[in-house]
Amino acid sequence: MVLFEVFINGIILGGMYGLIALGLNLQYGVARILNLSYGEFFVSGAFTAFFTIMLWQYNPLLSLFVSLPIAFAVNWLIYQYLMIPLIRRAPDQDALDADVVLVTFGLFFVFQGLALVYWSGDLRGYTFLSTPVNFLGATIATNRLLAFLGACVIAGLLFLVLRHTRLGAALRAITIDPVAAGLVGIDVRRYSALAFAAGGALAAASGMLVSTFISFSATTGVAYTLKALIVVIMAGVGRVTGTLAAGILLGVVEALGGYLIDPALTIAINFGLFMLILLLRPTGLFTRA
Amino acid sequence: MDRRKFLKGSAAAIGAASVPTVHAQAQSAPDKIRVGYAITQSGPLGPGAESTVVSQYKLWNKRVNDAGGINLKKFGKKVPIEMVSYDDQGKPDELIKLVERLIQQDKVDMILSPYATHMNLAAAAIVNKYQYPVIMTTSTTTKTYELSKKLPYVFWQIVQPNEATEPLAHYIADLKKQGKIKGTVAIVHPTIEYGVEMHEAFQKAAKAAGIDIVFSKSYPFGASDLQPVIREAMATNPDAFVAMSYPPDTFMLTEQMQVVGFNPQIMYVAIGGVFPTYKGKFGDKVNGIMAYGGQDKSVAGYAAYIKAHQEMHKRDSEAGAVSVYAALECTQQAIEAVGEIDRPKIRDVLASATFNTLWGEYKYVDQRCSSPWAIGQWQDGELVGVFPGDKHGAKPVLFPKPAWS
Repeated sequence: MVLFEVFINGIILGGMYGLIALGLNLQYGVARILNLSYGEFFVSGAFTAFFTIMLWQYNPLLSLFVSLPIAFAVNWLIYQYLMIPLIRRAPDQDALDADVVLVTFGLFFVFQGLALVYWSGDLRGYTFLSTPVNFLGATIATNRLLAFLGACVIAGLLFLVLRHTRLGAALRAITIDPVAAGLVGIDVRRYSALAFAAGGALAAASGMLVSTFISFSATTGVAYTLKALIVVIMAGVGRVTGTLAAGILLGVVEALGGYLIDPALTIAINFGLFMLILLLRPTGLFTRA
Repeated sequence: MDRRKFLKGSAAAIGAASVPTVHAQAQSAPDKIRVGYAITQSGPLGPGAESTVVSQYKLWNKRVNDAGGINLKKFGKKVPIEMVSYDDQGKPDELIKLVERLIQQDKVDMILSPYATHMNLAAAAIVNKYQYPVIMTTSTTTKTYELSKKLPYVFWQIVQPNEATEPLAHYIADLKKQGKIKGTVAIVHPTIEYGVEMHEAFQKAAKAAGIDIVFSKSYPFGASDLQPVIREAMATNPDAFVAMSYPPDTFMLTEQMQVVGFNPQIMYVAIGGVFPTYKGKFGDKVNGIMAYGGQDKSVAGYAAYIKAHQEMHKRDSEAGAVSVYAALECTQQAIEAVGEIDRPKIRDVLASATFNTLWGEYKYVDQRCSSPWAIGQWQDGELVGVFPGDKHGAKPVLFPKPAWS
């Protein structure tokens, strides 16, 4: 019975991993920008939720109405005014990647510095839906379940948009080959900006959902950038539903490994799985050869 | 060769002409006392450093300067402090470079403690080498028991693992003797040095006191889900649940214990359990939880301190921060007793005098605080000190811990 609960917990935890990686995969997969300041938008979503409940005493979910548009707008501006000049002058994708990493790493320091100045370095946390729910005999925290459902809904919506709309077809075309997409009349710059901005907004949304059960501070963003990056690379760049699946795989392996072997090894097990996938399927689990 | 010897030597070499100048400079009061520190401002340990240490340095700086400065009786005047600070990014090698920079380039008069045990230890050897007396405020490690003799300029403020865990083991053993509990304990700890050392110290104390550890597991620092560990501990139905935890996992354990309905009669969490944000998150559910550290809010000067703290930081202080502030008070009292910046003399005063601080009255014996608060407990929504039981201001323990409502 405990084993079953651990398994369910692993799925829920993995949903969280998938959730934090979805936005990064949009940014990296479609817009081809490896955004190292991604975690800062995660943190901004968490802080907006924290202030919404602790200062203004509203439901933290309402903070999404503030944090999503702001994160969307800021990321759109970053793409238009910081990334476009880099894209224009880069001779190829490799040169662009190097430039992008440097610039977004710089952005990470700027955003973290601002966060430290305005929000201080204190550890924050609040209580929201920390009640247990029973799922087939397993006990799950409601707030973690909410984050899992959030991940499923977001991944589902993204899947529908990408598969069944004109916009989605354009985005997929850009993912596969941005040059060819431009040749057939797709406005690559506009759609990439849109994907990048949407990715930033998703970072804020995931920060809000995760903040209901994990304490955070102005400096925790980078840890989530790394976690998200691992999941994205495991799933394969540009694979949206695959991102959720890879996250869940990671969560289940971590939970079962921790329970059956030793909880002290959970992070080692995570990275072991990551290395194994890099060795066996370097382009990601869900990328077609 | 240190600077003092160098000055003496060069004065002799240059000849009598230069001696009066050196002498005259030594006599005029400095226009400020430069106090330097390198501490973690970014990275995972940044939040703790800010909440516990940096906030206190800033507050002390302001309060001392508002009062005119530190009184240097040799010059018959108060001299304001000027702070010089750097971010060590949580890297010991960076910290060592920065402390040397503070000493050699910035030529600061005094140095303050960095944050976290391994960083305190990294800085200890350097400040000792340059003979800067420093009270290390956030170091708790069994290594301090040997280091006192080797590093005469380094002082240790907070409670060390043996003294931190023995009172808890004795308390559980007492309840067992009284027949109130069976005396079974489940312990968990993150796999970082602090967690491991506290774990070992508690195990030793538990064995000596005759209580049974029925469950013992570790988890990685930064784990995202601790429910499986809690489930396993809960299955052993212990009287006491003891977590040698760090702030993020202290918060997570407390929340997930509520989710699964784990209600031990005695609950101890280590670092972070005394934070106001802990109470902010859990409200009255903190009542009965014991944690590393403690304080006595009825001590003289506390009301004025907390008022100034509220004004500057717009939030309450916490027990760990109060211990840091007390170390600053000791530093100031030692400088004022000497009456000038003469670091060997300041060191000697620190090593022998009795200090009156927000953390009560104490001395440094073998350079370790003689009666640091070891364990605090939340009672009626306030954190009080419960161990050492004989310290002035200690309250009786609330037992059993109320169940999560």
